[in-house]
Amino acid sequence: MGSMGNKGNRGAGPSDAGLRKAGPRSGTPRVVVVGLASCFGCQLQITNNEKHLLEVLGQFDLTYWQLLSSAPMPEDFDVAIIEGAVTTEESVQVLAELRAKAQVVIALGACANTAGIPGIAAKGFCGRPAEVYSTLPSVCGDLIAPRSVTSVIEVDYQVPCCPIDPSEFLEVLSKAFYGSNRPLTEKTMCGDCKRNETGCFYPQQELCLGLVTRAGCGARCVKVGRPCSGCRGISPEANLASARESVVRYGLAAEGFDAALELFNQTNPLLQGKD
Amino acid sequence: MTNTALHIDHIARVEGHGNVRVVVADGAVDTVEIQVVEPARFFESMVRGRDYSEVTYISSRICGICSASHVVTDLKAIERAFDVQPSARTQAIRELLVYGSYLQNHATHLFVLATPDFVGTPDIFPLAASDPALLNSALEVKALGNELCTRIGGRSVHPITAVVGGFTHEVAPEEYLELAGKMEGMLPFMEKAVDLFNSFPITDISTDGDMLAMVQDGYYPIITADTARFLQADLTFEAGDIGDNIEEYAVDRSAALFARARATGRPYMATALSRINASWKHLSSNAKVAAAKAGLRPPELNPLKNNVAQAVELVDALERCAGICRRLAADGYAGTSEPVPFSVKAGRGVGFTEAPRGALFHDLTIDEAGKVVHASILTPTAQNLANIEADVRKLAEKLVGEGIAEAALKLEVEKLIRAYDPCFSCSVH
Repeated sequence: MGSMGNKGNRGAGPSDAGLRKAGPRSGTPRVVVVGLASCFGCQLQITNNEKHLLEVLGQFDLTYWQLLSSAPMPEDFDVAIIEGAVTTEESVQVLAELRAKAQVVIALGACANTAGIPGIAAKGFCGRPAEVYSTLPSVCGDLIAPRSVTSVIEVDYQVPCCPIDPSEFLEVLSKAFYGSNRPLTEKTMCGDCKRNETGCFYPQQELCLGLVTRAGCGARCVKVGRPCSGCRGISPEANLASARESVVRYGLAAEGFDAALELFNQTNPLLQGKD
Repeated sequence: MTNTALHIDHIARVEGHGNVRVVVADGAVDTVEIQVVEPARFFESMVRGRDYSEVTYISSRICGICSASHVVTDLKAIERAFDVQPSARTQAIRELLVYGSYLQNHATHLFVLATPDFVGTPDIFPLAASDPALLNSALEVKALGNELCTRIGGRSVHPITAVVGGFTHEVAPEEYLELAGKMEGMLPFMEKAVDLFNSFPITDISTDGDMLAMVQDGYYPIITADTARFLQADLTFEAGDIGDNIEEYAVDRSAALFARARATGRPYMATALSRINASWKHLSSNAKVAAAKAGLRPPELNPLKNNVAQAVELVDALERCAGICRRLAADGYAGTSEPVPFSVKAGRGVGFTEAPRGALFHDLTIDEAGKVVHASILTPTAQNLANIEADVRKLAEKLVGEGIAEAALKLEVEKLIRAYDPCFSCSVH
């Protein structure tokens, strides 16, 4: 198909997006859903569209979804929806195969998009297996430091957040099927809180990562009294240096801000380069 | 079937990646192995060094479906370490939150993952054509679980409103009443569903393992006690003494550690069936009637009955949660859900809850600065693996002895494993 988003590109779809336009087949798109290292929560969120589940599933040919069906993985398919972080060499191979076969790849959830919570283990990874296992079981495979799907292969669409919002998944799916290259917003979250009139955590001297996190979720956590934990990923528009200054201005430590960012953005090059 | 090697690579319709291998040689069952190949994420290592306030954020990601249980278990551990006593109201709301995940989990497991085993389809989708009313009602139960988790926890997966000492957000009384009405409205369907699951034919086997569940005087507990009991050995212990009572051990074919009872060396089952065996007489009135009608009474040792046990628990959960919601709306619990004030201090706490799939323990040690210095997490599926393996062997021996064909054996083995409702991603964590 046409030009893909850049490797690790956040949110840009292919320029001639849309299976119906781009793909060689005009039939029903054949979809596979694959889980790597994850909690399976984003796959569950797909099924949490109960009201629309059957209508949604009627739009395509769900040829492989291990969570829901014992039908085996097919050789041929159009769309690969990938959940989870990449934690083994074997998974890197799986991704290469999925990318080679699929016309459209969708990275589902924070783990696939930022390495998410599993990405915390990337820091000092070599020492971690010995903290859990006296002898590493052979079935653990060829372990590598956790990384996002988007850092390993090119993806065409992203559904960020931990967990994903089921409605946003449907929106991205319709972009993939029917064509749209409208990218994810690059704004940071703070504007959402102003619109929601939820106030701000900083005057109460409480850290909130909305300062640098990509908007688009509607600041749902803040609406129920919790600061943003950054699960949507660091926005390309974020100004980390300026955010750290603001944090200090409110009497909080910049180190604490960076530590909090590690929860969902440990493997982001912006954090790696902070020293 | 004299000689065969049955290898089910990636057992479908369960959470996570697991394989099973059954080798039959000269007409006898030789090797039976459960292989857990789920990627290790090293949660116990990841929470080490993190602030106590981040622990629920991190370890809820062990599992999407029982995330509420991981959150509440962590909170219990941290509150034990800090000597925090949350209000009765907070406890009641936490119970609702965990029951929300029971509705999600049991409805998904029973209707979406297990039912195809008994109606002879690869997945649930053919039911949309053959019995749309059943499928719609089943999805409604699941949706109600999501709604409960969302209203109480802020969202359907990975709840965020539950914090040390209380909640950051609570819904209005009328929302509790609305939830209660919906739950009561769902009861007739669930009572019929118990009959449905009981009507599915199952192989007559009984586990040789023990059963473990939370116990409490006069109540069907899922978060309100700290006492566990091995039912067969009649051995009761406090969650804080978990290391003296449960032994975890590594096997090379599994990324998850296996577990057994330290005193007896026996594997055991930590499931809905264990809970019903432990606390049958404290089931809600409708649930008790449904269980009696289905012939589910303690001691029930057939692991395949765990499906019926989960269906009975759904009746119990709907009735129980409707009562909790009405009482919350009437301000019938002492205190508010505002987080109670506390001070950070060094200490150890073991959180213990009954997750939808079975007993869950989080053992945390925290330093004086509030950082986690040690964590040990024991999930239901990790506890069940050794018992699943032993039960698969017993089932295979029985069926091979009866001369079963290979394809039929494969299906029966899968049915048994799925009846445990395993979560392999939880078991590795």
